[in-house]
Amino acid sequence: MSDETLPQPSETPEAPAGPYVYDYAASPQRQIVLPKTVPLPSLVTYVAEVKAAAEADEAKWQKQQADFEVAKAKAEAEGKDAPKPPVRAVPRKDDNDLKTPWPQEAQDPDLLHLQDCLGGKVEEIFEQAGELTCQVSKESLLEALMLCRQDAELNYEMLADQTATHYPAATGFAFSVVYHLTSISRRKRLRLRILVPEGFAPESAVAVYPSANWMEREIYDMLGIRFVNHPDMTRILCPEDWEGHPLRKDYPVVGWGQRDISFREDRGGRLEMIAMQKAGQLGINLKQPKAE
Amino acid sequence: MFKNEEMEVNLGPQHPSTHGVLRVKLRLDGETITHCRPMIGYLHRGVEKICENQTFFQGQVWTDRMDYCSAVANNLGWAEANEKLFGITVPRRAQYIRTMLNEFNRLASHLIWLATHALDIGAMTVFLYAFREREDILDMNEAFCGSRLTTTAFRIGGLREDLPPGFEKLVTKFLAKFPSCLEEYENLLSENRIWKKRTVGVAKLSAEDAIALGVTGPVLRAAGVPYDIRKAFPYAAYAEMDFEVPTKTEADTYARYLVRMEEMRQSARIIQQCMDGMPEGPVMAKLPKILRAEVNEVYHATEAPKGEIGYYLVGEKGSGNPYRFHVRAPGFINLQALPKMAEGGLIADIVAAIGTLDIVLGEIDR
Repeated sequence: MSDETLPQPSETPEAPAGPYVYDYAASPQRQIVLPKTVPLPSLVTYVAEVKAAAEADEAKWQKQQADFEVAKAKAEAEGKDAPKPPVRAVPRKDDNDLKTPWPQEAQDPDLLHLQDCLGGKVEEIFEQAGELTCQVSKESLLEALMLCRQDAELNYEMLADQTATHYPAATGFAFSVVYHLTSISRRKRLRLRILVPEGFAPESAVAVYPSANWMEREIYDMLGIRFVNHPDMTRILCPEDWEGHPLRKDYPVVGWGQRDISFREDRGGRLEMIAMQKAGQLGINLKQPKAE
Repeated sequence: MFKNEEMEVNLGPQHPSTHGVLRVKLRLDGETITHCRPMIGYLHRGVEKICENQTFFQGQVWTDRMDYCSAVANNLGWAEANEKLFGITVPRRAQYIRTMLNEFNRLASHLIWLATHALDIGAMTVFLYAFREREDILDMNEAFCGSRLTTTAFRIGGLREDLPPGFEKLVTKFLAKFPSCLEEYENLLSENRIWKKRTVGVAKLSAEDAIALGVTGPVLRAAGVPYDIRKAFPYAAYAEMDFEVPTKTEADTYARYLVRMEEMRQSARIIQQCMDGMPEGPVMAKLPKILRAEVNEVYHATEAPKGEIGYYLVGEKGSGNPYRFHVRAPGFINLQALPKMAEGGLIADIVAAIGTLDIVLGEIDR
């Protein structure tokens, strides 16, 4: 698999080749605002975040107490009334029915079995919202899929869904590819996940699960991840000569030309400004309130 | 004088029997199909991208427009996926109403399938009868939520409104006449010699192939696999309902017809149970005005009339938009099986194969 055929959206300085080529990166007015966070669910990250938050809270409380001691000593020295002792802030409890499902330690026998069989190739296992997630290294994907399909204890017969997500803010990887497996006989679901960097071509799942055929074509079409050993790695939804991969986060949501700002990045009211200009050209005064 | 070479034929994209804009590239040897390649994407609107740039609430109207014959089922999957993402428990009355409307939707979708499938094969009469009953269901949709086809029926956390007064009467009236209507269709088709000639043994898909290709819904059940998400992974109020999952082992077009007809009977049973056991209480959970997600990903699958519809959502901390919104459309996956079903058969039978898969191109292309 050569890397020459891979699309490289952000590093193409050439001008558009023709009138129908949509080179969104070369648009003069466009400044695409990429997401700044990496919303990749993970037990390790969650535990670290909780720990850091607890430590910050404790440090704040310690500082409040120390400040109080200082203020108290000062007030005593000056003969004034002692200041109020600090009260530790209790997290506000919202009055609603939301119960956020946080990542949990893996308890399910399937996940533990996978970890036993694959050993160090498993990067992480956890449960969230009642769903099992197993993240394996990108090289051992096919092995993990084979295991899920053929192991008598796992026996996941069907690949129900396969999709990918773009994480431009992440370091070390650019996409997560998820495989939702279903075991019809055991009534279970499992999510396999790999993290792949830009330009990496993961192994195709078609050899194990033929249903991956169109789903991988869709991923290639929408996100630009190519799969090795896929029988027919072509675009499926967009035309063959389409430029770019629409579900990447750096792909604009509005057309080339007059509407050159996406709603996501319209923080300064530029869309409104354009609407005002258009209205002005048409002789409509949008600023004036409607007459009663 | 006679040429022996294979001929390439394009079926569609503007062919009435392709149920939308599906193009199938066929290579023919005489009348036998030797190669079949479905080409899709003519209705691609980028629903996933649009939903990623809108709030969690706003995505619903796009789910209506995917599979426009079963908008309620799409709404239900969408609402439940969001509820899973935020950890919302829906009031029991709302669950019952959702289940009931979902089953009405299954009836409507199966009726439109029956009508168009029979019309494709050449039985005109059923079309008129099936649309007559579908009209009643659309009227009920209208009574409940004001629109007939693109319903936007549910909200995250429950329903916007309770059932309108007098809805019960509509349901009772419908359920009283529906069994006789089903008999009417079956009298027209089940033992019809032409219908059987066109369907028995046509477009076979074995259970192994169906599972390997990810096919779900009635097509899988007609191959003898009793996989119904309503039973396997119960959602809404289906755990409390008493119904059967019809299966057949012939795995041909006729078996799928029988499975769907039996499913309609079971749907009517579920609706009756919903009406009888309808609990009292609120229909909406307590939610903040703006939903802001935590880092979480969910895949929630429900049984749409056409098969497993799954929503994959990724939440970004503090964001009101889904970071990733993906739909596992049943038609998209089921259509993969078309070459397997059509190759080796006659060109006239590909119309039956497309019809029996029950595809809607709106959801395949999204």
